[in-house]
Amino acid sequence: MTRGPYFVSMRRKRGGRVAQWQGRLFLTPTVAILLLLTIFPFLFTLAMAFGKVSFEGGALRVTLVGARNWTRLIHDARFWNALVVTLKIVSLSVLCEYLLGLLLAVLLNRRIRGRTFFRVTFLLPMMLAPIAVGYMWRMMLNDTRGPFNDFLRHLGLGTVGWLSDPHVALYSIVLTDIWQWTPFMILILLAGLQGIPKDYIEAAKVDGASGWRIFLYVIFPLLAPASIAAIFLRSVEAFKIIDIIYIMTGGGPGLVTESLTLYGYSVGLRAFDLAYGATISFSLFFVVLASSMLFFLLTRRARQISLE
Amino acid sequence: MRKMKKKIVDIVTYFVLIAWTVVVLFPIFWMVTTSFKEKLDVFLGPKYLPWVDFKPTTKWWVRIFTVERRELITPFINSLIVAGVSSFFAALLGSMAAYALTRYRFRFGPMKNDDILLWIVSQRMMPPIITALAVFLMFRVTGLLDTHMGLILVYIAFNLPLAVWIMANFLSQIPRSIEEAALVDGASRAQAFFRVVIPLVLPSLSATFLLCFVFAWNEFLFALILTYSKAQTMPILIAMQHFQRGPQWWDISALSTLAVLFPIAITIGLQRYFIKGLIPIGK
Repeated sequence: MTRGPYFVSMRRKRGGRVAQWQGRLFLTPTVAILLLLTIFPFLFTLAMAFGKVSFEGGALRVTLVGARNWTRLIHDARFWNALVVTLKIVSLSVLCEYLLGLLLAVLLNRRIRGRTFFRVTFLLPMMLAPIAVGYMWRMMLNDTRGPFNDFLRHLGLGTVGWLSDPHVALYSIVLTDIWQWTPFMILILLAGLQGIPKDYIEAAKVDGASGWRIFLYVIFPLLAPASIAAIFLRSVEAFKIIDIIYIMTGGGPGLVTESLTLYGYSVGLRAFDLAYGATISFSLFFVVLASSMLFFLLTRRARQISLE
Repeated sequence: MRKMKKKIVDIVTYFVLIAWTVVVLFPIFWMVTTSFKEKLDVFLGPKYLPWVDFKPTTKWWVRIFTVERRELITPFINSLIVAGVSSFFAALLGSMAAYALTRYRFRFGPMKNDDILLWIVSQRMMPPIITALAVFLMFRVTGLLDTHMGLILVYIAFNLPLAVWIMANFLSQIPRSIEEAALVDGASRAQAFFRVVIPLVLPSLSATFLLCFVFAWNEFLFALILTYSKAQTMPILIAMQHFQRGPQWWDISALSTLAVLFPIAITIGLQRYFIKGLIPIGK
């Protein structure tokens, strides 16, 4: 982010110490709240993941027990299932959201009538409560009373157990996620497209490049930073998925749609095994950390390419 | 030849855009119409068009606001209070932090301004389940479970990174000469901020507030873990009603419609910001 000069001249006038003191005062509430409600709980969960939680006479006690919870985690088939389910949902939905979002952003960036209408309408799904979205899709995908199977029936095709068939349920979750979050891709990619200087495209046109070639060799490479940012931010959010699963399938049928967050929640607060719930939840941190590192490597690489 | 090609591309463009509009609007339409359906119209397979396929009724809506008012309206008011108060503080504290980060030079150990900003923003990436379990215990010990206060605190922390990020972008675009003039005239830094800067960025600040409001209004996991009766919010109410009443689509559709009303209004109200690029990503 580009920024103007700081108040260097001001400080000289008013005395450096006073100015610094005031600046800290402005920053402190934010930092304090984040330390108290994000960093401290984060460390607390880490401690629980290496410990045992007990309530002795109403007093909370965490005793460290070493890596016991983690050995249990490695041998827990349900954990690996949840990890694979989460990874599947994230990769499938983010990929589809990106491709769809790119197509729609490119089309929205053309000179068309009703641009504002389309843009606002396309944004709507991501602003709605995921619980409400999950509920509407649960109704839509209902075996007997939902429009999806009704359409299929009218077309003479058989009906599908969208949420009850273990082979399909995961894709129904992905479908709902795509519906809700493609707007996010559109939002970022459209901003990226608008930031591409018109001259580049004009120059390519003068050189006689076709529309498709312009997209492939000019627009797409210039859009790389926005693309990477969009995919990264969306993936990080998608790893946290719980709400639409909670209301659409509850993790079922069986465990085929149980995500890591849902499993961590069930163990931690339904079975009230807080230490193991913390361990499961904490594994999600490593997943997010790994994808962040991948993202930073990719951005550096993309920057190198654009510099060449 | 070239003209014809452009025409074909135009037709394809409109076709795709209109198709996606239908995809976006149909589920919302389905939910809203379901809240006006008689039980039989729900049970006897999908009915689509009001007045054509089925005769709409307002009785479920009336019921929500009369017979079931007590149990259904409380979560609505809870949501309003929690989302409203937390977003107010997130926007206020967030813009104060953003102001500090764009106007002063900080250094905490190896961390400079941009590192601090990145640290704040990156808190948003933390999967909430990690902190939620610990916050549950913290609140249990301090008696903040199932209170407005507890949820408000959590949502302030939840929205602060976003608020700081957006406001840092807006504040960095405000020319410093304006505040400097106020400071030269003898105003204190706090006065300059509240009397000069805030009015200047008020539109952006309200946009930030509304965006935080939507996120807090929609939030599910923390509300699920930290509330059980008194402080329940709308998303929890919808989930609970769904598990208690199963196939009673009409009631829950009405509640869900109520839950998406504000976000839709806010999206339409903020269209200008979204189109200009409210969220400074990729800069």
